[in-house]
Order: sequence, then C-alpha cells, then structure tokens
Amino acid sequence: MRQGWTAFNIVSVIIGFSFLYLPIVLLVIYSFNASQLVTVWAGFSTRWYVQLFNNQGLLDAAWVTLRVGVLSATVATLLGTFAAVALTRYTRFRGRVLFTGMVYAPLVMPEVITGLSLLLLFVAIDFDRGFWTVTLAHITFSMCFVAVIVQSKLLSFDRSLEEAAMDLGATPAKTFLSITLPVIWPAVAAGWLLAFTLSLDDLVVASFTTGPAATTLPMKIYSAVRLGVTPEINAVCTILIAIVTVGVLSATLVNKRREVRRARESQVAFG
Amino acid sequence: MKTKSLGSVRKSFSPWTDPDAKPFIRFENVTKTFDGTAAIDDLSADVYEREFFALLGASGSGKSTLLRLLAGFETPTRGRIVLDGEDMTGIPPHKRPVNMMFQSYALFPHMNVEQNIAFGLKQDGMAKSERNDRIAEVLKLVKLENYGRRKPHQLSGGQQQRVALARSLVKRPKVLLLDEPLGALDKKLREETQFELTDLQYELGITFIMVTHDQEEAMTMADRIAVMGDGRILQIGTPPEIYEAPTSRFVADFIGTVNIFDGTVTARNGDRLKLETGAGHLLEVDANEESVSRARSGEKAAYAVRPEKLRISAKELTGPNVLSGEVWEIAYIGDMTSFHLKMDDGKIVRVSMVNASRESPVQLTWHDRAWVSFDPDAGLLLAN
Repeated sequence: MRQGWTAFNIVSVIIGFSFLYLPIVLLVIYSFNASQLVTVWAGFSTRWYVQLFNNQGLLDAAWVTLRVGVLSATVATLLGTFAAVALTRYTRFRGRVLFTGMVYAPLVMPEVITGLSLLLLFVAIDFDRGFWTVTLAHITFSMCFVAVIVQSKLLSFDRSLEEAAMDLGATPAKTFLSITLPVIWPAVAAGWLLAFTLSLDDLVVASFTTGPAATTLPMKIYSAVRLGVTPEINAVCTILIAIVTVGVLSATLVNKRREVRRARESQVAFG
Repeated sequence: MKTKSLGSVRKSFSPWTDPDAKPFIRFENVTKTFDGTAAIDDLSADVYEREFFALLGASGSGKSTLLRLLAGFETPTRGRIVLDGEDMTGIPPHKRPVNMMFQSYALFPHMNVEQNIAFGLKQDGMAKSERNDRIAEVLKLVKLENYGRRKPHQLSGGQQQRVALARSLVKRPKVLLLDEPLGALDKKLREETQFELTDLQYELGITFIMVTHDQEEAMTMADRIAVMGDGRILQIGTPPEIYEAPTSRFVADFIGTVNIFDGTVTARNGDRLKLETGAGHLLEVDANEESVSRARSGEKAAYAVRPEKLRISAKELTGPNVLSGEVWEIAYIGDMTSFHLKMDDGKIVRVSMVNASRESPVQLTWHDRAWVSFDPDAGLLLAN
C-alpha cells in the first residue's frame, strides 16, 4: 500500500483545510485592518483593539458572559455528575429508562423550544429576567452534556474499586469522594469545559431568557453585526479565538506531559 | 471405616470432625435470587476458625455470589450468615470484620502502594506512626519492602497481586475472602504463589475463604473444598475425600478424570457386588459403606474408577474386572502416559500409567489391542 504525497492528496488537504479555516483566517487578518471598511485592506493596525477596550458596552457584556459561564458550568457539572452517578449506579430502580431518556432529551431539543419554554416558565412564576434567568437556563441545557460525558466514564469504571474501598471500611460517601471522584476527574473536568463553552457561545436561549440588564457577548455581537460588521467585532472574535486556542492547546499539552511521565515511570519500573 | 485412610495426607487440623467444635462462619439456609432465578439455593454450610476453605465450581455455580454475600455486597433473599456468633444481616460491607482480595486486584490507580495499604487503616482513624509500622510489617510479609512509593501501573502482575493481598491483610480481618486470587498469574508464578499463600495463612492463623474454578489450586491450598453447582453445595470434604470418595456422579466427573460404567447389579455377596454393564462386561466390585444400603440386586448402579487406578497390559488378561479395547489415543506427558482405549461398544476408557522407570514395561502403539484390569476396591459405586 502506497501512502505518498500524491498531487491528489495534497489538493484534497488544501481544499479541506481552506474550507474549515479560511473564514477564520480572514476574520483574524481583517481585525488588524487600519481601514474602517471591512473589505478594504489599508495596512496593519491595532486601533480596533484599543477601541475595543474603551467600549464599555462590549466589556460589560463580556463580563456578564464570563460570570454566567463559570457559574452555570459549575452548577451544571455538579448536577450532571450526580445524575450520571445515579443513572449508572442504581440500575434497578423503577423507571430508569424513562429517567435516562429525560436527561438526554435536551441534547436533541431545538434551542428555540428550550428557550421559549424557559421564558414561559419565568413569566409564569414572575421571575425577573436577567443574569439569574440566563444562568438557570444555561444550567438546564448544559447539565445533560455533562451527564453524558461523566456517564461514559463511569460505565468503563471498574466497580470493584468502590467495593474494595467499602470493604476496607470507607462509607459510601467517603468512597465517592476519595476513590470514584479522583478516577472520573478527567471526565468531570471535560464536562465543565464543555458546559462553559456551550454557555459562552449560546445566543438563542440567552436571547429568550435574559432581561435588559444582562446582555451577553454573543447577543451584543449579533446585534452589532445587524448594523454592519465593524472591525471592532472582528477584534472581539479574534480574542475569543485566541482564548479557545490557548485553552485547547494547554489541555492537550497537560495530557501529553502526563502520558510522557507515565511512560517514563513505567520504564523506570521495568527497566 | 474406609474414609479415614483416603489419600496420602494425614490431617492434624480437622475441627469439622469434632462434634463439639463451634463453627466460625455459618451459612444458614441462604438463598439469593436475581430477578427470580436463584444464584444461591437454600445453602447451609459451616466454616471453622483458621480453616482454609475453598469454594470450587464452574462459572455460574454461585461461588462468587456466596463470597459477595459474606462481604456484604449482596444481601440474602432468605436465610442468614453468622460470623463469630454475630448475625451479619443488615450490616453494610464497611462495618464487617472481613476483607476481600479482588480478582481484578482493584488497586486504587491514583494512590501508590503505601497509600493503597494505608487506606483501610485510615478509615479506622489509626494514628500515623502506628499505621506506618503496620504498613512496613505487611510489606515485609509480601516481600515488597522497596516498592512502597510505586504506583500500581508501575508493578508487574505478580507484584500487584501481592499489594492486593497486603491491603486486604493489613486490617487483620477475622476472615479473608479471596476471589480467584491467582487467576491472573501465569502458570509458573501461580504454582509458587499457591504454597506461599498456604504458608502465610498458617502463619497468620486467619480464616481464608477462596473462590476458584481451578480444582488443582483448590486441592493444593484448601483444608476443605465445597464443590458447587447450580447454587448448591454438592459436597464438602477434604481434597482426598472429594477425589477418592465423591458422593455424586457430578462431583466425580467434575474433579479430575473418571471412567464411569453404568450397569445393573446382578448378585451380591456380602460387601462384594456383581455389576453387569450395558456392553456385557461383568465387574466385581466392593460396595463401599455409603452405597451398601443402596445397591440391591436388579438395581441400576454406576461404578466410577480413576484412570490411574487401572492397569494396562499388551498381553491378554482374563478374570473379572478385565476390559479390552483398541488403543485410540496416546499422550506421553513425561511423568505419566495417558491412554484412551476404545471398547467394542464404542465407549472410551481412560487409563494413565505412571512412568516410574525410564524404560517402560508396556509397549503399545495406536490401534493395538490392549487389556486393562483393576482391583475390586479401585473405584466406588455411585447412586444414579
């Protein structure tokens, strides 16, 4: 089997990657454009970044988004982890299939419906819409993603570890904290990151459930773009892309380093 | 009383023969059902203090369930388990004075060897200095003094097995439960470890209950073996009793290899019975004490005899208890040679011959005619 770089291969790779990354590259380039006009290149400049940091509206929106993201991801991780543990551990309770289905349903539910139903709920109970309603809404839809991730880890988890801990005298709560949680930790962390990301880029649910006092960054960007794309928006997006890239890269690096260390330890052990 | 001299091992430890001895663990009519099917079916048994007790059976025989019931991971549907005079019903696993060594070892991957062993002691709130003494002591016992800082994935399979053992012993439980303790080791290591474990058990004086599917392992290590099938104990006995005096066809067949001749009792002369097999062979056999009362003239009976208790010959033999057949398979194993003879009625009879000298008195090859003979007391009668 030949696996060389044929012309066909090279062209396929170029087309594929262009398709994925050309829009992003363009966006990053134009964020450094000196011109006011988005499509006309007038030389390199960082003026839009400077202007961005003087735009109080955008900064406020970013701050709201960050707070909503951290809070909702944390609560969703807690709830999602408990749901996953309950669904994998107590397999013999009545209606387990129904519960499993109900936890996963929001995964496939159209966002518009999630947003609308939450809006109706908040209006019905006369809950003032704003920061807290957005946070609650984000918890609602992101906890099922956490549950799915944690559950897949728990399914491959060797139950005899927990039994061994209890056999050695640990109470069920102690067993969960000192054995189960450290072992499933990577999945819990991954769940938090996913929940945070989902919250960060949600537009639809947030638009339904927020009030005038709490505008999130995606909403701000969306409304700004409706009036025309400004280089400032390009700059915000470039910063977001940078944050995500750094996050993904550092997660990969940490993982890689752990693997290398593990391999080295095994090598020391077995000569 | 024939059973007294079975096998070649004289036992000095045998509380089960003493009617005054108090059982340490009692299973009283224990039943465990999963979704309506009984994994353990009305089982009763006694285990004595300091005993090495083996539960032997095929997978699905209920042996692991019995162990998990004792550890507290499962609760009996009916019946109860009494340990050292204390009813275990309703006591959760973390409050039972038993520890278990798991088949998968279940070492905590995020803790090093010392932390793994310390875990159980920490739950009891033991002071750090005392804890460290106990850990050092138990690591010495399993010969892993220099491995305390290693993580489980840095250890070989044999070392992991020792850590699991150390972790389950460090709390000095009243009973140690071993679930297929040597199942994951290779053959050579397994044989070494078998003797190490028996020595350790003798030294520590802890009651061991082991689950295994390997009969050789059970025979080597255990004081008594309970042969299990379909959630019941079919027979409890010392290794020689189980091998030489099985009480049922299932046990005879399950332990080692056996030739079983089905037939009808035609005559009886004191303890000697005449048995006519379906193929027309006449056997003259001793009716051992249990079956004397059972086997009467005209009744169906089965005679079970082990391959090593048959003698094989290339020369024609006459008299009772002689069978002849064609040599169908030969396996030269070194310490012994195993023959499969095909009788005229198609039945295969297994004979094994110990190679006591380098030159064999019997020279046979495939498709030769051969004769086998045995003494009237070589095997035993089984009820059908």
